Amino acid sequence: MAWTVLIVDDHAGFRGFAKRLLEAGGFTVVGEAADGASGLAAAEALRPAVVLLDVLLPDIDGFAIAERLAEQAGRPVVVLTSSRERSDFGSRLDASAATGFIPKHDLSTAALAEMAGVGR
Amino acid sequence: MTRRMLVALSLAGTALVTVAALLVLFAHDFQPFGPAEKLAQVGTNAVWIFAGLVAWTRRPGNRVGALMVAVGVTDLLQQLYWDAALPFTVAQVLAFASTPVTAQLFMAFPSGRLTGRAERWYVASAYLLVLVLSPINALFWDWQRTECPTCPPNLLLVTSDPQFWEPWSIAGDVILVGLLGTGVALLVRRLRRATVATRRAFAPVLVTATLASLGLCVVLAMDAAGMKTEDSVALWIADVLYAAVPLAFLVGLLRMRWRRAVVADLVLELGSASGPTNARDAIARALRDPSLEVAYWLPEGERFVDSAGHPVAVEETPSRAVSMLEHDSERVAALLHDPSLRDDARLLDAVCAAATLALENVRLQADLRAQLAEVRASRARIVAAGDAERRRLERDLHDGAQQRLLGIRLALQLARSRVPGDALEGTESLLADADAEVVAALAELRSLARGIHPAILTEEGLAPALEALARRAPLPVALHACGERLPPAVEATSYFVAAEALANCVKHAHARNATINVARRNGRVVIDIVDDGCGGADPRGHGLNGLRDRVESQDGSLVVESSPGVGTLVRAEIPCA
Repeated sequence: MAWTVLIVDDHAGFRGFAKRLLEAGGFTVVGEAADGASGLAAAEALRPAVVLLDVLLPDIDGFAIAERLAEQAGRPVVVLTSSRERSDFGSRLDASAATGFIPKHDLSTAALAEMAGVGR
Repeated sequence: MTRRMLVALSLAGTALVTVAALLVLFAHDFQPFGPAEKLAQVGTNAVWIFAGLVAWTRRPGNRVGALMVAVGVTDLLQQLYWDAALPFTVAQVLAFASTPVTAQLFMAFPSGRLTGRAERWYVASAYLLVLVLSPINALFWDWQRTECPTCPPNLLLVTSDPQFWEPWSIAGDVILVGLLGTGVALLVRRLRRATVATRRAFAPVLVTATLASLGLCVVLAMDAAGMKTEDSVALWIADVLYAAVPLAFLVGLLRMRWRRAVVADLVLELGSASGPTNARDAIARALRDPSLEVAYWLPEGERFVDSAGHPVAVEETPSRAVSMLEHDSERVAALLHDPSLRDDARLLDAVCAAATLALENVRLQADLRAQLAEVRASRARIVAAGDAERRRLERDLHDGAQQRLLGIRLALQLARSRVPGDALEGTESLLADADAEVVAALAELRSLARGIHPAILTEEGLAPALEALARRAPLPVALHACGERLPPAVEATSYFVAAEALANCVKHAHARNATINVARRNGRVVIDIVDDGCGGADPRGHGLNGLRDRVESQDGSLVVESSPGVGTLVRAEIPCA
C-alpha cells in the first residue's frame, strides 16, 4: 500500500526535491503547503496518512500544528523535520504530539516509511 | 612685609618713640601737662605705632596696619613743641594732622578700604580741611598773645589783629565739631548696614573708644569743676583707655582671621555637600546672609533657575546685590545677596571663588554621570545589536545555504536511487562521495550557525541551550540550571560565557570533568563553570577579556580563579530583576 503524504515546509526547493524523492520511494505526495495554516487546511481536506512537517514555519510552530493534527478526524502520522539537529530542540521533541523527528539531512524514504509504520 | 622690614621698622619706631619721648619731656610747656602726662601721651602713640606694625605684619594686604602707624606718628609729631621758633611753628601747623588719619582709619576699618561714596567724601574733606586750613589759620594765630606768652613766636603770623583771629578760631572749632559729628553719624550708618563679620571686628574698638571718651568726659568735668586732674586716678584711667584703643583695633582686625576660616570651612562643607540646597545653606552660613539665593545658569536655556528649576530674575536692586560666579569666563551661577556684603569685599570674593569651584564641580559631576550613563546604555545597545545581528545571520544561514545544500542532498539521493545497475562504472560511488561531502558541509554549517547564535537559545531559553551544549561537549558536563526564561541579553551573555569557558576546559585545561551551575541570587544571575583541569588560565586572555566586556556591558562582573593544578572557576554575575 502506498502512503499518502502531505509536505508542509516554507522552502519550495526542499518541498520539490522531497516530493520527487518520496514519490520515487513509493509514497504518494497528495499535497504541499508553505505554512502552518494552509498545512492544517490541506490535512483536513486531503486526509493524508503522513504529514512531513517542518518545525520552523513562518506562522505557526510545527509543535503546535502537530498537536492540532492529533485532534483531527483522520489523525495522520506526523513526522517533524528540520534543518537543525535533534539536540537543538532539547526536550520539546520528546514532549511533542508528533510520532517522530527526522533531521532534513537524514531524510530518506526508508526513514520515513519506518516512522510511518510505527505511527500506524 | 618681610621679617627684615618689620625688624627695621620696629627699630625705627623704637628710636622715633624714644627721641619723641625725650623731645616731649624737654619741650616747651605749651600745654599744661606734667611730665607723667606727656609720657603717657607718647606711650599711647607708641602703642599705636607698634600695634600698627603687628597688624601690618599679620595682614600685609590690609591698610589698617599702615593707618594705625600713621595715626601714632602724626599724633606724636603734633606734640613736639620744641623751644625754637621753627619747630614750634611746624608743630602748631601739624596740630590736627592725626585727625583725618584717624577719621580714615575708622571709616576704612576693618577692610582697610573706603567702600561707600559718603565715607570717601568725608575722609577727603577731613584731609582738605585740616591740611589746608591749619596753615591758613596759623597766619592769624598769635599764640604768644592769646595763650602762651613764653612760647617761641609764630613764624607764619601775618597779623595778630583779633578781628581776623577770632572768626578763624570759631570756624576751626565749628569745623572740628562738625567733622566729629559727621564722623560719628557715618560710623553709626556704616555699622547699621555692616555684615556681622564687620560688626564683630568693630566691637572691641567701639567698647574701648566709648569708655575712653567717657573717661575724658570725667576728666573734663573735673577740670570744669575746678578739681585738680594732674596725676589723678581718673586721668590715668582715661590715659590707659586711650592707649587701649589701638590694641582694640588690632584685636578687631585679627578677629577677621576667623573670616578666612569661614571660607576654609565653606570649601570643606561644599566638598561634602550632596545637593543644591545644602550648597546654598553652606554659602548662606559662610556669608551670614540668611536671605542668600543661588541662581544656577542654564547654558541651553540662557537663563537662571533656582534649585527646583524655576526661572529666577537676576537683577541688581537697591535691596539686592548680584555676584556672578564664573569659571573660565563661563557663567556657572549667580549669588543674590544683601548689598552690605560688599563691605567685606574680600570675604565675598573668597566665598564666591569657593562656591564657583564647588558648583562647577557639581555641574561637572552631573555631566560626567550623564555621560557615563549614556556610555553604559550605548554599550548595552551595541551588545544587543550584535546579538540581533547574530540571530539574523543564523537565520539567513538556515534559510539560505543550508536549505540549498539539503535540496542537493535529496537530489543526490534521488540520483543514486535512479542510477541503473549498468551505469558507467564509478558513477554510483561518485554520487556517494558527493553526498558524503554535502553531509559534511551541512554538519559544518550547522556547527557554524550554532556558534553564531544557537537557535535553541532563542526558542527554548538558557537551560535547554546549555543542556544541548553539555550534550555536545567532548567531556562529561554536569548541569544544574533552572528552566525559567530570562531577558534575551542575559540568556545570551550567560550562554556565551558557558560556551567559551567550556571550550577553554577542552582546549587549554585538558579537563576530565566540568560542571555548569546557574542560580539566581539577590537579583542576579550567577553562572559558574568549574573544571578539574590544569588551571593557570590567564584572566586577561583574549577570550576571557571579550567575555568580561560582554558581562560588564550589562553591569555584571566576571571572575576567573585558576590556580595551577586545582582547576578553573569562571563566574559571571549579571543583574537580572
